[in-house]
Amino acid sequence: MRPRYAAALVARREIVERIRDRSLLISTAVTLAILAAILLIPPLIGIGGTKTYKVAVAGPQAKQLARAAQRDAKAFDAKIEIVRVADERAVRKAVDAEKADAGLSGDARAIVVRKKLDDKLGNALQEGSRQLRLQAQPPPPLPVHTLLASDNSDDLQTITFVAVLLLYFQLVGYGYWLASGIVEEKASRIVEVLLATIRARELLAGKIVGIGIVGFMQLLVIGVGATALGVATDQVNLTGDTARAVGVVLAWFVLGYAFYACLFAVAGALVPRQEDIQNTTTPLSIVLFGSFMLSFAAIDDPGGGRATALTFIPPTAPMIAPVRLIAGEMPVEQIVVSVAVLLAGTAALVAIAARMYSNAVLRTGTRVKLLEAWRSAQS
Amino acid sequence: MLEIDAISRRYGSVVALERLSFAVEDGSICGFVGPNGAGKTTAMRIILGVLAADDGEVRWDGGRIDGATRARFGYMPEERGLYPKMRVADQLEYFARLHGVPRGDAAAAAQRWIERMGLTERARDRVEALSLGNQQRVQLAAALVHEPVALILDEPFSGLDPIGVDVMSEVLRERAGAGVPVLFSSHQLELVERLCDSVAILKAGRLVAFGPVAELRSRGGRGAWRVVVNVNGDGTDWIARVPGARVLQADARGLLVALEDGADEQALLDAARAAGRVWHFAREEPTLRSCSRG
Repeated sequence: MRPRYAAALVARREIVERIRDRSLLISTAVTLAILAAILLIPPLIGIGGTKTYKVAVAGPQAKQLARAAQRDAKAFDAKIEIVRVADERAVRKAVDAEKADAGLSGDARAIVVRKKLDDKLGNALQEGSRQLRLQAQPPPPLPVHTLLASDNSDDLQTITFVAVLLLYFQLVGYGYWLASGIVEEKASRIVEVLLATIRARELLAGKIVGIGIVGFMQLLVIGVGATALGVATDQVNLTGDTARAVGVVLAWFVLGYAFYACLFAVAGALVPRQEDIQNTTTPLSIVLFGSFMLSFAAIDDPGGGRATALTFIPPTAPMIAPVRLIAGEMPVEQIVVSVAVLLAGTAALVAIAARMYSNAVLRTGTRVKLLEAWRSAQS
Repeated sequence: MLEIDAISRRYGSVVALERLSFAVEDGSICGFVGPNGAGKTTAMRIILGVLAADDGEVRWDGGRIDGATRARFGYMPEERGLYPKMRVADQLEYFARLHGVPRGDAAAAAQRWIERMGLTERARDRVEALSLGNQQRVQLAAALVHEPVALILDEPFSGLDPIGVDVMSEVLRERAGAGVPVLFSSHQLELVERLCDSVAILKAGRLVAFGPVAELRSRGGRGAWRVVVNVNGDGTDWIARVPGARVLQADARGLLVALEDGADEQALLDAARAAGRVWHFAREEPTLRSCSRG
C-alpha cells in the first residue's frame, strides 16, 4: 500500500525532528533575548522612561498653558521645564537652536517644534491645553507646525526595521536549513531508500513545507513574544502599527520562503557534501542580502519610485513590500500585483526546482552542474 | 513472482544493461553475481523504480509494477543510508509509514524488529551513536519493517561481521520461507552457493548465466584440475604438450587447468611430472566461481 500523503509524512518528520533539535530552541531564545535587549536596555540607561523637556514660552497665555501641561506631564512619563523668552521670535529661535524641545506661540494656540513633536511632550501639552480651555468651549486640537519637513515617525521606522531584520534572517536561515537538510539526505545516501518508496516531488514538497511550517511557527513565537514583552514593559504600544507589522512579516515570510525555498532546494541537490554547500547557496544569500540592503532605502522612502518598482520583482519583493505595507504606503492594487507576480515566479520555480532536484538528488558522487541537472534524462 | 523482462539502460554512450531478463520465484532466493560495473546495482535500481529503464519492463505477478506495489517492496541499497540524528525507533516507524503501514501498526512493527535485532536497549538512541554493526542491523530492519512482499538487497553481506552474516542469512531464509522472492547481489560466491536457489550471473551488462545453483554448477563441466608442480622458471609451456589442456588460472595456489571432453588427465599428470616435482594433483568441483569465469 502506498501512503496517501507521503509528502505529509515527510513534512511531519521534518517538523518533529527539528522541534526536537535543541538549536531551534536556542535560536528562538537568542532572538527573543536580542529583541528584549532592544526593548529593555534603553530605559535602563536613561533613554525612554520619564523624560525632561524644555518648553520655550513667551507671554502669559503661553506660560499658563505650559503650567497646566507641567501638572499633567507625569501621566505621560514627561517632565516639563519652562524656559521663558522675550517674544514669539525668541520662541522660534530657541526651538530652532535646540535650546527647547518645543515652543508655545504667544497666544498659546500652536506648538512649534524643530523637526517633529515628541509623543510624550505632545500629549502633555495637548492635555494642558484641553484642561485650560475646558470651561470655555471644547477646543480643536492644536495644529503642529513643523519647521523641517519629515515623513514617518521614528517608532514606525524602528518597528519596520526590526520586522525586515527578522524576515531577512528567517528567510536566509530557513533556506539554508532546507538546503543542508537535502544535502544531509544525499550525503548519508538515505535518499536512495526514500526514492525507492516515494516520488522525488513528494520528498521535495514535504521537506519545503515541513521546514517552512517550523520557520513560520518560530517567527510567530518571536513576533508575539516580542510584542507581549514590549507591551508588558510599556515600551511598545499595542497599536495598529505593531499588529500590522507582525501580520505583514508572517504573511511575507510564507510568500518569500516559498519562492526562495525552491532555489535553496536546487542549491542543496547539486552538491554531494555539507562542505560544498556554500558554493551553491552563496549566490542566493547575496541576492537576499542585496534585497535586505535595498529595504533600508525603502524605509526612508516607502512611497518612492524605486521602492515601488522593487515591489514587483520577485526576488526583492519579499524584502521591500513588507516595508511599504507597514508604512501604509502600498495601495491595494499594488499589493495584488506584487503578490501575483511573486506567486507566478514561485509557480515557475516549483516546476524547475522539482525537475532539477529529481535529476540531481541521486547523483551522490560529485557536484552536479546546473545545466546537467536541467538536461539529464528524467530518472 | 518478480520478472525482469529485457531491460536495457545506457548512461550516455556507456551500455550499463543490455536486454537483461530473469525471474525470481515466490519463496526463492536468487543470487545476483558479477564483477564490479557489471550492472547489478543499475538493475536493482530499475526494479525499485529509482532509475528508469530505457527499454523493457519489470513485472510483479505478471503485471506492470506501479507505485503502490513498489511501496511494498523492501530495498537495501549498496550505499547504506539512515538519518544519523534520528532515533532508532522513530526511524523504523517512519520507514514503515512511508511504506504505507498505518500509524499504530508502524510503531508495533518497529518495536518488533528492534527486539528481533537485539537493539531494545538502543531504541531511543540516535543512529549515529550506534556501532557500525548495530547500524547495519537498523538498516536491515528498515528494509523489512513493513513486511515487504519482495526483497531486493544490494550487497547485504558486505561489511558484516560473522554474527551479522548469520543473522542476515537467517532473515533471508525466513522471508523466503514466508513466500517472499528474495534477490541479493554479492561478491561472496560461497555464500551465494550456500543460500541461493538460483543465480543470475551478469557480465558487462549482459546475463551470461541464469538458473538453479546445482544446474549451473554441472554446466561448469567436469571441473578443472589443480596442479602444483615445482618447475624451474615460471614455465607453463609444458601444458602445451598436453592435448586438450588449457590454463584457467595461474597463481600462488598453483595452476588451474581445464581439460576438454575426452582429454586424459593422466597425460596431464605425466607431463607435469616430466616438467618438475608434482606436489598436488586434484580435481576441483565446479563452483560458481568457475562458472562466472566462463
